[in-house]
Amino acid sequence: MIHKAPTLIRPLILLLAVSLLAACGRDESDTEQLAFYAFGTLVDLTLHPPGVYDIETIEAAVQEELDVLHASWHAWEPGSLGRTNELLALQGEFSAPPSVLPLIERGRAMQDLSAGLFNPALGKLVAAWGFHQDEPRGPPPDAATLAELLDDPPGMQDIERSGVRLRGTHPDLQLDFGGLAKGLAVERILELLDELGVEAAIFNAGGDLMTLGRPQERAWRVRIRHPRGGTLGGIELEAGEALFTSGDYERGYEWDGEYIHHVIDPRSGRPSQGVASATILHRDPALADAAATTLMIAGPDAWPEYARKMGIEYALLVLDDRIEATAALAERVELNPDHDPLVVREQP
Amino acid sequence: MNPGDLRWGDAVIGILASALVIAAFVLAYFPAGEARVLVISQAGASPQHEPLDRHRVLEVNGPAGTTRIEIEPGRARCAESPGQRNICEASGWLQAHGDMAVSLPNRLTLQVLGSEPGFDSLHY
Repeated sequence: MIHKAPTLIRPLILLLAVSLLAACGRDESDTEQLAFYAFGTLVDLTLHPPGVYDIETIEAAVQEELDVLHASWHAWEPGSLGRTNELLALQGEFSAPPSVLPLIERGRAMQDLSAGLFNPALGKLVAAWGFHQDEPRGPPPDAATLAELLDDPPGMQDIERSGVRLRGTHPDLQLDFGGLAKGLAVERILELLDELGVEAAIFNAGGDLMTLGRPQERAWRVRIRHPRGGTLGGIELEAGEALFTSGDYERGYEWDGEYIHHVIDPRSGRPSQGVASATILHRDPALADAAATTLMIAGPDAWPEYARKMGIEYALLVLDDRIEATAALAERVELNPDHDPLVVREQP
Repeated sequence: MNPGDLRWGDAVIGILASALVIAAFVLAYFPAGEARVLVISQAGASPQHEPLDRHRVLEVNGPAGTTRIEIEPGRARCAESPGQRNICEASGWLQAHGDMAVSLPNRLTLQVLGSEPGFDSLHY
């Protein structure tokens, strides 16, 4: 004999099944991620909503563009920038590769904005410290070499431009767009994603990132790493915001018991001192990138002055003994409870 | 409904189903902040999820060498990794939701997640 299921059993089973689905679905992410390797670092792309985009097309297009940018803008591998540096050193007129022109123009603007602290024409100085190789290493330059490099150093004004024709006017001029190229690359990739129909994404190139759009029902949530390890805090980002950090931990090597990092102060010719990292939030990723380097070089006392010069409202700096920020960023960042409160610095 | 229509097996199924739902909710709404899973992200590979359920050691190979990861119930750490400044190891035990360690030489990030809404991206 077949028993009919009691009338209350079916709704009960249904209720249990729905509850189970609700419990299991709670941790489902509303994003999906793609990982790449470019510019010598980790690159990842967070897409929202999941499951709606042609992932293979996006992955191939982003990888192709990253490869092009890497080949065009790398400071020491053979490519467009390498050829440009060779021709600039000859001090004759030449037609520049089109991909290098926006770097030169933005580099010139950033040097002016930063009153010379950000100087992409000092590639020779950066190379002297052993940073023009995949694994940086010493020995650091001796005093005589440094003195020579700092005697009448080149700047972006030593490039004459007429249309696509360029001419270098300084024998030591060598371009290195570390501190700017990543910002421009992020800008380029976000334009590409927009063209591919992506509505909301975060493009993160080695920790420096920018948002494209945002999920409708919430802001983007970004965790900020402390330069000495662990977590510094978190921040919510809106559409079109870039977060860039320059830090002494990013590239460096030990020499005679001293840690040599890659951010070189053009005034002393030596690695900058007193700032472990500088984080900038801005809608222009190239400006955020260059300003992060500039504030790190400016140092613990002068950084607010340079932030003002560059039009930076949101900045946070990790110093040896404290964390400082502009008032605007202090309001937005949520610091981990195990850190001392932020010291707010007023801009002059 | 006649209670006599229910057999003992129906009751067992009902109890098991209820227990399953309760267990699922307990797991999903674990006390905020406690880590449950380690996410290992490495360039060029899909993120790897490891439950923080028992002691074990994982080794992840990268371009600069091997990163050794220790897992214990509720926490994980970067025990050994290539890199001159030991920044990955200095992150210590990752045990609160969102705690992370990064090994740039090996192009990998380690992050533990609990039950709070996750972060979308890591800035470093």
